[in-house]
Amino acid sequence: MSKKVTVYTRNNCAYCVQVKRYLDIKKQDYDVINLDENPSEEASVVAKSGARTVPIVMITNEKGDELIASIGWNPGALSSALAA
Amino acid sequence: MQQDDKLHDVVMIGAGPSALCAAVYTTREDIDTVLVEKAVVGGLAAITDWVDNYPGFSKGISGMELATELQAQAERFGADIRYGEVLSIRDIGQEKVVETSEGPLRAKTILVATGSNYRKLEIPGEEKYYGRGVHYCATCDGAFYRDKKLAVIGGGNSAVQEALFLTRFASHIDLLVRSKLRASEVLQCEIDKAISEGKITVHLETVLSEIIASNNKSVDKVVGTKAGEAFELDVDGVFVFIGLLPNTGFLKDSDVELDEIGMIKTNIRLETSIPGVFASGDVRSGATAQIASAVGEGATAALSIREYLEQQGREQPVV
Repeated sequence: MSKKVTVYTRNNCAYCVQVKRYLDIKKQDYDVINLDENPSEEASVVAKSGARTVPIVMITNEKGDELIASIGWNPGALSSALAA
Repeated sequence: MQQDDKLHDVVMIGAGPSALCAAVYTTREDIDTVLVEKAVVGGLAAITDWVDNYPGFSKGISGMELATELQAQAERFGADIRYGEVLSIRDIGQEKVVETSEGPLRAKTILVATGSNYRKLEIPGEEKYYGRGVHYCATCDGAFYRDKKLAVIGGGNSAVQEALFLTRFASHIDLLVRSKLRASEVLQCEIDKAISEGKITVHLETVLSEIIASNNKSVDKVVGTKAGEAFELDVDGVFVFIGLLPNTGFLKDSDVELDEIGMIKTNIRLETSIPGVFASGDVRSGATAQIASAVGEGATAALSIREYLEQQGREQPVV
């Protein structure tokens, strides 16, 4: 199982756009879950991350563990998580 | 960013409205232009819910849409926008070096258009609970607080505008103001309406001392003083809008002259104390902190850069 990246976003979130651009530049595939369009996902991501903010990037690693890569626009944390 | 040894005509630090406008002007004249942005293209404008006072948009425009259009316009003419944090600049005569987290960039001229960032309260709990009850972006995070109680901190235009925006989601908003409201008359009228509808309560002379999360996970209380008396309020989240600080920390070891609050001093051509280094927008001493004026300054800076390059001779030998 390869690494899977999921970006949680909302409409009108400039930092979310930035995270997606960053992943595009890094040529990293990712899924997007827009919480405005998928409100049923909100409780789950808040429970998993403890955060009430977007963007949140989660990585599911080769073992199937779901890890928080970054909360907000944090290229340092995101870069480290992608490299791990 | 990959290693880049090219001597660029101009490196712009920041990619907010001021730099993007400057880039439209420079790239249209084939001036080789690189922009370096550490956060969001479009700057604070991009994370502003709605912009009603930018000319040309009779119905207003969302901050993100405006930023996207500015970026597309700059890129249409060849602006090269890169991501990275600028650590310092060095002036070695006709050539400047911009040290970034992704490596150095060489430039004949520099435009500093780093804008400003939200000022922090700097009280216990603020940093610890960032994203878990402490926020600085209402458009990003407001929707997490549907039917919740919020405190908005600040008494200026941003605080009032964002508090009004957050009434779309929150069950109630307490606006905590250090002294008195300083918002524009238009916004004061709007907030008066929200107060009369029971959506917002304003607390004047209120100073916070701590943001508390009893379960150590998510914020549930703020404490401080109101008119000198102890004050506490149960809330689900706190949004902070208490003003701006210029992003000039990377200039501390340079010869760029700053004013007493850290903003960059320029002459009438928007040139700093270092020849060939220009500044525009919210980071410039005397700036009015308006998107329209930041854009205008970007155009002025671009014309000054063109003039400087013409004086220096566009074809400097690459050292």
